[in-house]
Amino acid sequence: MLMIRAIVRPEKSDEVLAALMDAGFPAVTKYSVAGRGKQRGIKIGDVTYDEIPKTMLMMVVKDEDKDFVIQTVMDTARTAGKGAFGDGKIFVSPVEEVYTVSSGVKEGQS
Amino acid sequence: MKEVIAVVRINMMNQTKKALTDAGIAAFFAHECQGRGKGFVNPKILAGVDNGYEEAASVLGEKGKLYPKRMVTAVVEDAKVDDVVQAIIAVNKTGKPGDGKIFVLPVMDAVRVRTAEKGEIAIG
Repeated sequence: MLMIRAIVRPEKSDEVLAALMDAGFPAVTKYSVAGRGKQRGIKIGDVTYDEIPKTMLMMVVKDEDKDFVIQTVMDTARTAGKGAFGDGKIFVSPVEEVYTVSSGVKEGQS
Repeated sequence: MKEVIAVVRINMMNQTKKALTDAGIAAFFAHECQGRGKGFVNPKILAGVDNGYEEAASVLGEKGKLYPKRMVTAVVEDAKVDDVVQAIIAVNKTGKPGDGKIFVLPVMDAVRVRTAEKGEIAIG
């Protein structure tokens, strides 16, 4: 299993969530974060904004679904189809064990 | 070292905190999040929709509703992972959908900022 953490624009998160649901990946956890990227925030006049609000979407998927999920998130989170600075990042990390609390069952090994 | 991430019901936080302390894990952090799982619905309401009750259909609402949850993250030694996971399951299990999920991820290193100690000493 792999954990995919995607940082996207808050206004895009609903669109991404709907796309994931339609693609058959309903299970998602979302939370609000603030951050900056390699553009060092946004400079407007003399003021630099370097804590830009973003939304983090966390999902844990099977190894073979990784590329599909990443592609789905990427296609929907991109601004105006071709992308712009601030559209976000996607990180993938390994998950060793997954448990479902309601049944107490350890999910299938990857 | 392993990172244990548990997404649990918000009204279970007090029990979860107590269970973690009892399992010997004093240090953890938690934050608010929203989530959805496999997309369960109440079977009775679903049956109502099948029988043509329009009120039932309006209760179902849009698909993919996000529910408020708490995410608890603890970094623990390898030997304690099973204890922690079982402790969280024991207090959070109601048997109904929505109890949450627990993920176990590997952690490469940890550093205690105060003393710059590294590795297992830093999380002990």
